Amino acid sequence: MKETFAKISPFQLDPSKLEEAFGLDESSFDKANDTEKESMVEMRKSVSYWADAWRRFKKNHVSMVALFVFIIAALFAFVGPLLVPYDYADQLRNAQKLGPMEYSKQEEVVRSIDDKCSSFYATALRPGSITALEKGEYYFKKGGTVYAFTLEKALENAIVMYAPKGVDDKVIIVRMADIDKEGNFSNYEVLNTTTEYSAEAIKLKLRSSVFPHVFGTDSQGRDSMVRTMFGARVSILIGIIAALIVLIIGSIYGSISGLAGGVVDFVMMRIVELIYSIPEVLVVLILQVVLKDPLQKWFDSSQSAFAQGMSDLGSGVVSIFITFALLYWVTMARIVRGQVLQLKKQEYVTAANALGASNRRIIKRHLLPNCVGQLVITTCLQIPSAIFLESFLSFLGMGVSAPMASLGSLCSDALQTISLFPYRLIFPAVILTIIVLSLNLVGDGLRDSLDPRLKK
Amino acid sequence: MLWYIFKRLLASIGTLLVVLAITFFLMNAVPGSPFLTEKSTPEQIALANAKYGLDKPLIVQFKNYLVTYAKGDLGVSLKMQEGTPVTDILFHQGKFQLSIRLGLIALCVAIVIGIPLGCVAAYNRGTWIDGFLRVLTTIGVAIPTFVLATLLLVTFAVNHNFLPTISGSLDSFKAYVMPIISLSFYYTCYLAKLTRTSMLDAINQDYIRTAKAKGVKTRSIVIKHALRNSLIPVITYIGPVIAGIITGSFVVESTFSIPGLGKYFVQSVLCRDYTVIMATTFILSALVIFMNLVVDIAYKIVDPRITLSSRED
Amino acid sequence: MSDEKKLIEIKDLKVSFFTPAGEVKAVDGISYELGYNEVMGVVGESGSGKSVEAYSIIGLLQDPGRVTGGSITFEGEDLLAYTPEQMRQFRGNKVSMIFQNPMTCLNPVYTIGNQLMEALTVHDKNITKEEAKKRAIEMLELVGINNAEKRINQYPHEFSGGMRQRAMIAMALICKPKLLIADEPTTALDVTIQAQILELMKDLQKKENTSIIFITHNLGVVAEICDKVSVMYAGRIVEQAKVNDIFYNPQHPYTKGLLASQPRLDEEEPERLIPIEGTPIDLLNPPSGCNFGPRCKDCMKICLTKKPPYVDLGDGHISACWLHFKDAMKKKEEA
Repeated sequence: MKETFAKISPFQLDPSKLEEAFGLDESSFDKANDTEKESMVEMRKSVSYWADAWRRFKKNHVSMVALFVFIIAALFAFVGPLLVPYDYADQLRNAQKLGPMEYSKQEEVVRSIDDKCSSFYATALRPGSITALEKGEYYFKKGGTVYAFTLEKALENAIVMYAPKGVDDKVIIVRMADIDKEGNFSNYEVLNTTTEYSAEAIKLKLRSSVFPHVFGTDSQGRDSMVRTMFGARVSILIGIIAALIVLIIGSIYGSISGLAGGVVDFVMMRIVELIYSIPEVLVVLILQVVLKDPLQKWFDSSQSAFAQGMSDLGSGVVSIFITFALLYWVTMARIVRGQVLQLKKQEYVTAANALGASNRRIIKRHLLPNCVGQLVITTCLQIPSAIFLESFLSFLGMGVSAPMASLGSLCSDALQTISLFPYRLIFPAVILTIIVLSLNLVGDGLRDSLDPRLKK
Repeated sequence: MLWYIFKRLLASIGTLLVVLAITFFLMNAVPGSPFLTEKSTPEQIALANAKYGLDKPLIVQFKNYLVTYAKGDLGVSLKMQEGTPVTDILFHQGKFQLSIRLGLIALCVAIVIGIPLGCVAAYNRGTWIDGFLRVLTTIGVAIPTFVLATLLLVTFAVNHNFLPTISGSLDSFKAYVMPIISLSFYYTCYLAKLTRTSMLDAINQDYIRTAKAKGVKTRSIVIKHALRNSLIPVITYIGPVIAGIITGSFVVESTFSIPGLGKYFVQSVLCRDYTVIMATTFILSALVIFMNLVVDIAYKIVDPRITLSSRED
Repeated sequence: MSDEKKLIEIKDLKVSFFTPAGEVKAVDGISYELGYNEVMGVVGESGSGKSVEAYSIIGLLQDPGRVTGGSITFEGEDLLAYTPEQMRQFRGNKVSMIFQNPMTCLNPVYTIGNQLMEALTVHDKNITKEEAKKRAIEMLELVGINNAEKRINQYPHEFSGGMRQRAMIAMALICKPKLLIADEPTTALDVTIQAQILELMKDLQKKENTSIIFITHNLGVVAEICDKVSVMYAGRIVEQAKVNDIFYNPQHPYTKGLLASQPRLDEEEPERLIPIEGTPIDLLNPPSGCNFGPRCKDCMKICLTKKPPYVDLGDGHISACWLHFKDAMKKKEEA
């Protein structure tokens, strides 16, 4: 049937033709019942706020990619260190100043053992402590190559376990003295054989002790990649904690100010204005220096796990948190107050009020859900700004204390040797940029999806 | 208008006092004295303290600071250049002028490039120009100043010798290039992003629809109707931008070895040279607060709705 | 109505919004024509597509809305074939529009005079500043703003809501357009101001000989000012007739419901107001049958499956309802 202005005049139409023209029949003009009427209406599934926001967010490809990138960066920071056998404070001997993917000589040897001896185990060896493998008094042979140990302090109780040809399913444990200079095992006394690697021995599997220095090492022989991972971890944590501090203080302050109104609001907002016009970085710098000693004392005296964790990060980081708690919540407070004021005027709040809803209910059902978008967005965008501030302070020589690293302190350390080892700056700087960039993009995406009114 | 400026000036002085008070009491909250070194004996410290009036009660010390500042004197340096009047260090040695010149040029660059870039992006929304600018500005706000400064340094000065590594006292055009780029890049991008958003926001307003319904040309809608309205939120952000540029100058000054105020301030904080800290805080805060005042007045000029006495948040 | 008397003719216009959730057929095949010096009311509840239809005439559809079918002919020219530049010259010059919320529709940073004069200068490059200013003052006086000489230099925030709407009207009429589209121009105003603005529009319409498309959800306003009325429901015109026919001889169940739900002052015995039950359909998933079916108390089996065609009831009275067919069948059978 064409939907144009057909302008049919039924009064001139023959009933028999009606049937033809519109496919009408006898029952067509019977009254429809309610169920039939209802079945016509196919109401859209009502989508919850978050499901709707998520749907919009998913449509935003840039933000989705950014979220993905950030997740990878977070995995790098939080899971990465578990996969690498080094720690951020480990100073590897003879492995200083290596370039990306370079190995020290010993590490080369260990690596070649790794490659060829699939079942080489040793106990009482600290990972990374094997030295002078090439020249030594004790030898063993595997796959045609001879390897040797010197009996160093650390190796005194060493038992070499290996699986000779033909008995691969067994580990034979021999005394080191039984291995001759050529590395032959002709006259050896089998101390023990086992099909089960002892738990101890497996833990000290040499294979895991060498991992490529993907980002190289620094002047103290610390693996740069692990340091970057820890740095990223610290930076992300600082960002999140600082953002949460800002969120809590800012939203409490802002909502009190907005809800109370009147004189309270006036005074609270003057305070905000005052803090707003303080050049905060000046105060931050002074705070950094001022808080150093008292915080250190607190760390030394307190036994609590919290104090311990804080002292690992160093007084610089704690004073960053304090700074955020003191100065940086004002923007959040303003936003929350603005939202509250705006929402207070909304008709649905008036309506809820008129219906006799309690204040608590109004806050829970009306104010909070309508603020939450703004809160999430502002918090999300606060994270990169905290990371920035930390890196800035670290750059100026404050911030986290060594040997703990943050991306900022890594960059700052790298600056001294920038012309010789530019990659030392580039890796942490790129990761810092990626984290900040992805968080910014995720924040933008959140703004578009959580607050449809702002959608462009 | 004059009355407003007067009132704002009074408020600014109040803020300045608060900043000075915070700085002063924070500095003195830590036990010890700037003269405390490993070698110094308690007698020597007491002597030095007495010489510079650090043995007096804090309130008296603070009052003394305010009194000397009111006279236009900034005191003498306690440690860094012991005995030298701070005014000499900051002004006669050119530190202040250097930083101000750097900051103002960077601010101008950020405004003159950033805002038009934002307009261009908003005007060409959805095209490759917009896409390119979005990528550029987003990356721009994600690169820390010190990283950019160092990368520039390595690329253009160390490896290729295009530009001098040490900008020193900024006596040639070439010396300016890198510090200005590093200092203004973030804020250029920031302002560009902000202008774009606020421009698009303005474009969605009802009065733009009215203008369209009148048959006004797109170009003229953007330039005449959207721009001026979108500048209002942008202007409110110029205040923080100024503070940020001053902060940024700390980094840029140390990267390019410019003997400016920022670098000096950081040093003075690290070695607890009280008078220098106070004096630098005083000058920098006064600068930021004054610029905020200028921004507020600019606000009035752009938006006729704002009667300056009752500015809404 | 003969062809030469037609100012604007809309045929089977379809407008869709392509939202992430799917295509929303905001206007789904509407047709009407409007002669010179004629005032047509478009009535319907929120979301019935009345504003969308008006925006598509003036070419101001916002993304993601698109005209997907039909035609709009203005004085014999196809508006949909216009280039953006042609459309721009057309807007404000031959057709202008006033909007619902006068508080936000004027640019806050320019004076009223500046904005009035702009409407003139964009369409007439040769006009001098003095002439434009003179004309702007004239227009302000025409719309009843006292002290126009002084007022012209004021900013919108110095005007009250009613005065702003007057200024909007002055701005819309300053180029002497042939058609004025008024999109709920009185909805956001106080009742007393509403009456003044309506009076003013009626007045100006006579003086300036402008045709008006008057969009509203207020039937009282329609009775006041319109020659004919289109009643819209869910993107379609359900009934169209001269204003008296709509009020005294409504044919479509929706129109009847609408009238029953609004207070009438002309009836001696005040009756209870009867609301229309239910809510409008979801335009994302329109039913295959009549859009009004689910809310119609006379809904029949045929209404469930087929959309009713437009039925010409004579004298320009058009209604889209299967009931008319039922009546016809009955009459035939009786006869």
